[in-house]
Amino acid sequence: MGEGRGSNSSSNSNNKPEWLEQYDVIGKIGEGTYGLVFLAKIKSNRSKSIAIKKFKQSKDGDGVSPTAIREIMLLREISHENVVKLANVHINHADMSLYLAFDYAEHDLYEIIRHHRDKVNQSINQYTVKSILWQLLNGLNYLHSNWIVHRDLKPSNILVMGDGEEHGVVKIADFGLARIYQAPLKPLSENGVVVTIWYRAPELLLGAKHYTSAVDMWAVGCIFAELLTLKPLFQGQEVKGTPNPFQLDQLDKIFKVLGHPTQEKWPTLVNLPHWQSDLQHIQGHTYNNAGLYTVVHLSPKNPAYDLLSKMLEYDPLKRITAAQALEHEYFRMEPLPGCNALIPPQPGEKVVNYPTRPVDTGTDIEGTISLQPSQPVSSGNSMSGGMAGPHVMQNRSMPRPMPMVGMQRMQPPGIPAYNLASQAGMGGGVNPGGIPMQRGVAAQAHQQQQMRRKDPNMGMPGYPPQQKSRRF
Amino acid sequence: MAANFWTSSHYKQLHDPEDVDVVHPLDKDRGMTLEDFKLIKLHMSNYIARLAQNVKVRQRVVATAITYMRRVYARRNSDERYRFEIKEILEMEMKILEALNYYLVVFHPYRALSQMLQDAGMNDATQLTWGLVNDTYKMDLILIHPPHLIALACIYIASVQKDKENTAWFEELRVDMNVVKNIAIEILDFYDSHKQITDEKVNAAMNKLPK
Repeated sequence: MGEGRGSNSSSNSNNKPEWLEQYDVIGKIGEGTYGLVFLAKIKSNRSKSIAIKKFKQSKDGDGVSPTAIREIMLLREISHENVVKLANVHINHADMSLYLAFDYAEHDLYEIIRHHRDKVNQSINQYTVKSILWQLLNGLNYLHSNWIVHRDLKPSNILVMGDGEEHGVVKIADFGLARIYQAPLKPLSENGVVVTIWYRAPELLLGAKHYTSAVDMWAVGCIFAELLTLKPLFQGQEVKGTPNPFQLDQLDKIFKVLGHPTQEKWPTLVNLPHWQSDLQHIQGHTYNNAGLYTVVHLSPKNPAYDLLSKMLEYDPLKRITAAQALEHEYFRMEPLPGCNALIPPQPGEKVVNYPTRPVDTGTDIEGTISLQPSQPVSSGNSMSGGMAGPHVMQNRSMPRPMPMVGMQRMQPPGIPAYNLASQAGMGGGVNPGGIPMQRGVAAQAHQQQQMRRKDPNMGMPGYPPQQKSRRF
Repeated sequence: MAANFWTSSHYKQLHDPEDVDVVHPLDKDRGMTLEDFKLIKLHMSNYIARLAQNVKVRQRVVATAITYMRRVYARRNSDERYRFEIKEILEMEMKILEALNYYLVVFHPYRALSQMLQDAGMNDATQLTWGLVNDTYKMDLILIHPPHLIALACIYIASVQKDKENTAWFEELRVDMNVVKNIAIEILDFYDSHKQITDEKVNAAMNKLPK
């Protein structure tokens, strides 16, 4: 791994760094706070696709980002069929940029859910939901039994392999916030805010100093519900600015569905800082016991409902674990979960064809690699979104470390420019419209993405505590 | 694995002592002996520990830093190692990452120490044993032996020092006591030879490094 020392000696910008020679880079497939992601083929094995995640060059005095270090440290150790595979690490010494090469996964749950909601207007079939959930739990059980807590599970970080040997296999991705929680040197809460707000467990929202792998199980519960209904279960409005795990609106959304938490249901509740300090807002309001089953349209007797409600248990100590969940009755009744989540085993059932990721062939990876000393990669767009319409809020509007490939796309499908870009992208390396047109499309797409995302990281610090909290 | 030593990269990468005690041919040409090489690594370990005192980091962090340094030294000749110093630290961070082949997880003897001491009824020897473990980083033991055996070797030395009869306790553990005793002997040998180390010797060894 990481054989390549960058071609330090070369000053010719036409020269590729040595390590890049083994790839044919097709184009950019994503962009986020932490850098860019490119799709590439391995020259020696064209059937194999790789996602190359380029971390932004460190700024003065920052060093390699803690996100990158965490991701490398953990992924270098672990190996599981339901966890994304780190194929290689590359360093370009000339501009001090760092690259992680992953096995490429064509789909992610964010796109799959959106396809069903916005395109085919039809729920995801039961077999697929169950298979995805089982594999997700299987990967998570592996992580948790190895004392790794992911801390950023959400649909866009759950990948599903496209056509090929591993078709329909679920891969947990983005370990930028993950850590080993055995014997931490400091309370985990000092690691800063974790988990995207909609998937954040109540103990985190209420300021727990110590937390466990149960925070991941809460997120899995939210994802399970979203697979069933195609809508995020708890869509709280995030109060941005100061990084704060406490989000009143998010708690409000949760309490409305699951009812008021009580000390009876959750004995350690009263010890949580924000529960104590915010008597007026939280404790002053009485929530009716609305009922999760009406939201997810399941009978309370349905095993799927039973499993879901155990994942969304308030008390983290009582919340079902990944190992227990895998043994749940839901997985032992028809349809049984399978390895290929996308193709139901029964013949005759309709197969949904999910769209492939749009590829921006106009952005060349070499253009982002400097053979001279460090220059931070600019997003090339100073337009930050002021238009937080409802659609914006429903999408990925929260600060997030860049997931491997499931991050903000070039642009949302369904917007006219999409077809153009995706067709161009299908060309697989060719550039049918010529470079200038491509650049134009990409820029336009980028703008829309900016408007839609309203990612505070583009303008404001999103996770400042983590930048500082560099610890092993 | 990240939390299970026996499936970790740390375990898989443990060296045979012969592999660690090798002076690279390029360094040999400069007149560097194995003793010099060990002194240099000792000097670097002490340096890291002192640096860490100034910035107040925990012992496990110090131990990890020293382990990284020793891993790098076990892989490269000092030309490659020394090019680090000249340029910026940030650049070095990436070079170290690369030199470590991106394996960053390290297991330390500290983790099991207090539990084992309690189990052996030796709580009163905590400070002594902890200090012994700290000193093991002045050697390459962490590159060669599983950390729990290093911890046991330190407990073994501490029980001899404290005149504590622990034979039965050690026998109940299912570990190879020969390995534990050999580690203990290495540590004691180190203390013996440490008395003979003078600043002149260290400086002479350091001077054999490429400038």
